[in-house]
Amino acid sequence: MATEVVLPALGLTVEKGKILEWYKKEGDPVQKGEPIFLVEADKVTTDVESPSSGVLSKILIPVGVEVPILTVVAIITEPGEKLAAKWMVEGPAFSTAETSAEPPVSPGERPRAKTGVPGDRGIVPAARRKAKEYGVDLSQISGTGPDGVILLKDVERVLAAESKISVVKASTLARKLCEKEEVPLKEILGTGIRGRIMQADVKAYLEGPTATAAGPPLGSTMPMSTIRRVIARRMSESAFNAPHIYFFSEVWLDPLLQFREEVLPVFDKHFNLRPSINDFLIKAVALNIADFPMLNAQLKGEEIHIMPEINIGLAVAMPEGLIVPAIPCADRAGLVEIIRHRADLVARAKEGKLTLQEIERGTFTISSLAQYDITHFTAILNPPQSGILSVGKTDEKLVLVEGQVRVKRITRVGLSVDHRIIDGTTAADFLQHLKWKLEHPAFTFMSL
Amino acid sequence: MLEIRYFEEKIVDQYARGNVPGLAHLYIGEEAVAVGACTCLKETDLITSTHRGHGHCIAKGADMKPMMAELFGKRTGYCKGKGGSMHIASLSLGMLGAMGIVGSGGPIANGAALAAKMRKSGQVVLCFFGDGASNTGAFHESANFAALHKLPVVFICENNLYGISVCMTRHTALKNIADRAAGYNMPGVVADGMDVLAVYKTVGKAVEAARDGKGPTLVECKTYRFRGHFEGDPNLGARYRKAEEVEEWKTRCPIKRLKEYLLEKKIAKRGEIDHLEKDARERVEDAMAYANASPFPEGRETLEDLFA
Amino acid sequence: MREITLREALNEALKQNLQRDERVFIMGEDVGCFGGIFQVTAGLMEEFGPDRVIDTPISESAIVGGGIGAALNGMRPIVELMNIDFTLVCMDQIANQAAKMRYMFGGQMNIPLVIRTPSGAGRGAAAHHSQSLHALFMHIPGLKIAAPSNPHDAKGLLNTAVSDENPVLFIEDKMLYNMKGPVPEEYYTIPFGQASIRREGRDITIVATFRMVNKALSVAQELLSKGINIEVIDPRTLCPLDKETILASVRKTGKLITVDEGTRCNGFGSEIAAIVAEEAIECLQAPVIRVSAPMTPVPYGPTLEKFYIPSEENIKEAVSRLMGYG
Repeated sequence: MATEVVLPALGLTVEKGKILEWYKKEGDPVQKGEPIFLVEADKVTTDVESPSSGVLSKILIPVGVEVPILTVVAIITEPGEKLAAKWMVEGPAFSTAETSAEPPVSPGERPRAKTGVPGDRGIVPAARRKAKEYGVDLSQISGTGPDGVILLKDVERVLAAESKISVVKASTLARKLCEKEEVPLKEILGTGIRGRIMQADVKAYLEGPTATAAGPPLGSTMPMSTIRRVIARRMSESAFNAPHIYFFSEVWLDPLLQFREEVLPVFDKHFNLRPSINDFLIKAVALNIADFPMLNAQLKGEEIHIMPEINIGLAVAMPEGLIVPAIPCADRAGLVEIIRHRADLVARAKEGKLTLQEIERGTFTISSLAQYDITHFTAILNPPQSGILSVGKTDEKLVLVEGQVRVKRITRVGLSVDHRIIDGTTAADFLQHLKWKLEHPAFTFMSL
Repeated sequence: MLEIRYFEEKIVDQYARGNVPGLAHLYIGEEAVAVGACTCLKETDLITSTHRGHGHCIAKGADMKPMMAELFGKRTGYCKGKGGSMHIASLSLGMLGAMGIVGSGGPIANGAALAAKMRKSGQVVLCFFGDGASNTGAFHESANFAALHKLPVVFICENNLYGISVCMTRHTALKNIADRAAGYNMPGVVADGMDVLAVYKTVGKAVEAARDGKGPTLVECKTYRFRGHFEGDPNLGARYRKAEEVEEWKTRCPIKRLKEYLLEKKIAKRGEIDHLEKDARERVEDAMAYANASPFPEGRETLEDLFA
Repeated sequence: MREITLREALNEALKQNLQRDERVFIMGEDVGCFGGIFQVTAGLMEEFGPDRVIDTPISESAIVGGGIGAALNGMRPIVELMNIDFTLVCMDQIANQAAKMRYMFGGQMNIPLVIRTPSGAGRGAAAHHSQSLHALFMHIPGLKIAAPSNPHDAKGLLNTAVSDENPVLFIEDKMLYNMKGPVPEEYYTIPFGQASIRREGRDITIVATFRMVNKALSVAQELLSKGINIEVIDPRTLCPLDKETILASVRKTGKLITVDEGTRCNGFGSEIAAIVAEEAIECLQAPVIRVSAPMTPVPYGPTLEKFYIPSEENIKEAVSRLMGYG
């Protein structure tokens, strides 16, 4: 029977070897134990002995070729035996030596520690910290992690859109009525115990939606929603910690309004977009901050961090409270980009579909009550930001220009800053330059 | 001896083919020591072995089938595939284990001997170790302890002149390791490790003395391994041994010598010897077949046998 | 840059050190004439002579103790213990003497000793020749520990070890000896206590040692196509340990896996997990997972050893579990 000669295993770490010399030729007789070739592996050379006696019928691996160990390098046949057809291949045949059956591979279950204590609905540390920081009620959250563990993303989801999580309390009758009339339950203000929505509330809603917009009736008590609590806490934090100073300026808006009218049809036709005054405001403020980076600063402990990106937040009024998504890198964004961003963010804000990142990235806020009959107002900073611009309504006014009476459309803008890090002259400077930018739109918005 | 020789030769081939993982330290050339020594023993006697333990195992009565299976890493091996070549053991045969740590057998042999003394079991323990091991701290501690307590142990030093690549003249200050025995107040004897009868006689006396409560003996068997330290040792140790030296020792092959002796003294006939050889070869082939047919253990079995 | 094996890189480092400083010498079993059981010291005795590359008897305590004494008295010895398993034979000399003498004697003396030793399983060498015991030594104050995972780091770290005035346990993963990589020809050092971020990522941090670093990188590459972005950190030295790099990474990703070939209990992974739990727990978004060998000796047979050594499958399972945490 033929014997396969292999490149033998040569110790623990050898993986390959190269035959340096064949001591025998094909057809030569060989004795068991006689060296038949010289192999080099890891810079060490050694003779390899013949595993049996017979005739060296076929050399499969020639001199100079490096092969893995256990490769069949030659065949020895018994005298008179014919070489099997499969070995009569010309050139290196890299068939591996016959080995016993492949060892079965077990997937290798490694014993693992159990997650959490059974019965205790766990929460991962990062989620716990976030919940604590933002005052999120953990009992309201259902965790999506293994075994119902509350994950960071679960808390973030709550913060971005409170309405999805909090359980709406309502009476069965109220629910039925809502279903029948196809009215969203969460839109309705409950006047029952602890804000429970009663059938009467649904009826009232159906009769007059505006009634609810006027707010809850006298004498009612309702729990603060998560969002409301967060807002309350942050407002207090801001008001107590950051000494605010306020500045006001009257901006002549005619040039901007005219500019807008001129570009509107172009935007509409080419981009299918309609820029609002807020969009121009966002851009102008962003450009202004680029000139006055201190307005983009945040106080962290004892350090003033001037944030690397100028992300302008636009306050959006929601029934639960104010939400401020931010347009990223507004100083560098073209107006088209700003419009699109603004439209998208505001729409999603109203649907409660913002991500936390979209809110948290803001570095400066614009809060506009222009649609109300408010001349001006003092806004509270949105922590941890150090500046906020309030925008009042636009009014026609009589003004004196070099002794002449003119009619101008004027808007009062207000700037509140954190006096710990921004002082009066900086703020005044900022506001003055902003006014100039808004009053010279063509120059300001040249790079659209 | 034939079994050991044929078994080891089979391992040369199987190791080269990759069927024996890890390391293989073969006993070819030293058969006389294991066989000569173990033949002196009763079935209840014990031995501790070294990393070069196949010879001791077979000499102590191991079945080559589970031995080969163990070397292949199969579940039917003596150690369920967990120990391998360097760690074969069989408690039922009195084989307390081959060990990968050089010198570690001494203290263990002493312990077994101590227990034998305490239980008055009449057992004797053979502790095999090499010339290299005789320089470890553990050896010296064992020698002193055994002599001090007159333990029924025989220390058998298989001096094959090399600790891997370092010749005895470069690792030990003495010419005969047996001379160390005096330092521990125990008898030290040198025997021709290539002559199975000489080993048998010398060890026999030591075993008797131990059994009689006279304490340990250090028997140094001068022997030689024909192959390298491990399979894969380039050119069978040619990097540190001269070919002439190897050839010279090969002329003293213990199997060859015994064969010649038996034929010369007409103790056995040619035919009987041929039969013995054939028989031994067949048994090795049977062992191979058994090992090949045996299953590998499942990966999960790694986690078993840690604690009782 | 030329690529050489880790073994060659070490050989080169040893050679360059023997050349640069006549106080450097090598001592160990079979290091001279045989060139080392893994050929790391090949050719050195031929070049530098048997007085600088010394073959010793099988006497581990004498080897390490000898190194300590020589280091105290003006030399810079590099001793070798053939396998890390054998450090257990001379543990007294390593842990009680080398690690403690400077401290016990009030800083009077330096022991600039390097103990080189191969570790790791993978070739069926079984229980006495395959252990990964570095965690034991992390527990002994006074010993620095180098843990290279590739040829470039191996050479640099060995050079640093030789120049260090303190005892350094230089551990070589024996399965990495054949690994090839780019290695500068000149002498260079890599500072201790500086981890290497082998791959940047966002979703999960994997801290791995020795050969496991390569397994982690392989898994990270594969999982990128599934949108999972893994950061792989190689500590390079276990003592001093660069925990800042690890903590910064965990703060970024919130998810941590350690992969180490040592046994589970009190292994390398345990210490990393403890550090994170102590200094960055609020960043964790998921449990810390240790991928390690099980609590058994290293088994011999191929099917058993394969189960024993942490595999890429095990790492992927850990990743999969973490991804369940969002």
